[in-house]
Amino acid sequence: MAEQAGSVASLAFPGSRSGETPLARALTTPQGRIGARILLVAILLLAWEFAPVGKGTGFWLSKPSLVAGTIWQWILDGTLRVHLQATLAVMAEGYVTGCLAGIGIGIVLGLVPRLHRVVSPFLAGFYAMPKIALAPLFIILLGVGDLSKVALVAITVFFLVVTNTIEGVRDVDRDLVRSLTLMGATRVEVIRKVVVRSALPWIFTGMRIAVRYAFTNTLLAELIAANRGLGFLIEFNSGNFNITGAYAGIAVLVLCSVLLTELLSRLEARVSRWRG
Amino acid sequence: MDQIAPAPSQSRKRDDPAKIRLVGAGKTFQVRGTELEALKPVDLGVGGEEFVALVGPSGCGKSTILNLVAGLLAPSAGQVLYDGEPVTGPNRRVGYLTQKDTLLPWRSTADNIRISLELKCRATPRAEATDRVAQMMELVGLRGFEHHYPAELSGGMRKRAALARTLIYEPETLLMDEPFGALDAQLKLLMLDQLQRLTRHRRMTVLFVTHDLGEAITLADRIVVVSARPGRIRAVHEVRLPRPRDVFTIRFSEDFARQHERLWDELKDDIIKGTDV
Repeated sequence: MAEQAGSVASLAFPGSRSGETPLARALTTPQGRIGARILLVAILLLAWEFAPVGKGTGFWLSKPSLVAGTIWQWILDGTLRVHLQATLAVMAEGYVTGCLAGIGIGIVLGLVPRLHRVVSPFLAGFYAMPKIALAPLFIILLGVGDLSKVALVAITVFFLVVTNTIEGVRDVDRDLVRSLTLMGATRVEVIRKVVVRSALPWIFTGMRIAVRYAFTNTLLAELIAANRGLGFLIEFNSGNFNITGAYAGIAVLVLCSVLLTELLSRLEARVSRWRG
Repeated sequence: MDQIAPAPSQSRKRDDPAKIRLVGAGKTFQVRGTELEALKPVDLGVGGEEFVALVGPSGCGKSTILNLVAGLLAPSAGQVLYDGEPVTGPNRRVGYLTQKDTLLPWRSTADNIRISLELKCRATPRAEATDRVAQMMELVGLRGFEHHYPAELSGGMRKRAALARTLIYEPETLLMDEPFGALDAQLKLLMLDQLQRLTRHRRMTVLFVTHDLGEAITLADRIVVVSARPGRIRAVHEVRLPRPRDVFTIRFSEDFARQHERLWDELKDDIIKGTDV
């Protein structure tokens, strides 16, 4: 990777290779890149902190030190824990429900094309619809509590996972199924050892995309109506013109997103090693 | 190999001594609205423990015959009998080594070879399965590649892995579709030797498709010459060479040369015709 980066640079700037400054060379190493990223963030934060602003604008801009102070305060008094937990619980419950239903129904529909042909227009219709539009309806039907949000997340996740699962099951190599059948495998064994296993990368793709949607929709639902959760925290603070609080909520959110993405790409890399 | 006990002979309550019998079995495919006759109705019997090779030009319906016997295709005409019974669905008594190796890409080589022993119908204790897998990997010269995935193997290695996967559960009948096409000459001879030893020892019935006349003469009891499309049986040659045959030297014997010449005479018109097209 480092090698490649170097060669691309030398293509773009012919002759720069020999005259590379130590700084440019440092960027080709992983440590160097991480250092550069920290530097970049530090510069932005410092610029924000010491931005020459008047009294009025200062209120709307806040300062990183104030934001950090607020987050620290939230950690100490337990605010962060409560709201983070609420968001993650809704998201996790909705996500797991949606995944289980999506995988189960997806496998059945993938294995029974006749059934799939009947319901596919409905699946396509719901798949394309932005599920967040259902949020107000769910709040009326299921209340402002967690249930309406869990249902929204579950529905969102379900359609993403079911579509991918069906595709994955239908994509299975018939020759693999045949060869296992000839070996004497029962239908259940063929499904378990070949069909589901071969659909796994598809299912994981659906699940990976669904994590983001689950997170987004949890937040959106909390912004619409909630009494706890990260979305509520941001909404509540903005509503009270506590700009620093709003920034702090967003900062926590960014951190969560980054952690989630990192976790997912690591999982993915581990699962698909066989794709040589 | 000696520790493998010979298979118990099955009690056969039927008059037909043939293990496999095609009775006027033919196959026509529908290709974009037009009919394509892949195999003219043929009659063919393969006796129990017999080794029969099918030779002929490309696309002459040899693979179709194997697919019919495996029950992966239903004949459009006639009947396919196995042990005297019509084949109506996937024939679980045969081990089928198709041209395309059907290794599971997400399983390592060893786990691929092991898979038949994981099935309920022949559940095997883990330790024993591991032993047999190791034995098989040794046999097909794949030692050291246990943890490689199929995508990390060469074409010839995948073929050998597929062969090991089929041989490990010792099916009573082996259907093989050009299993050694991708192997280099020395390795091919080694594999032929192992195949002969194993199939004789385990008293397997073998139906073997090949392009290689030498391979057919080396291994087969009978060679069935199939003509170009639509496939039909042109001739059946008995190979009268004593067993066990030394696959490494038999090619240099006079009998072998004579057989080869007779077969070639039978085939050359078709092959020349085939390559023109």
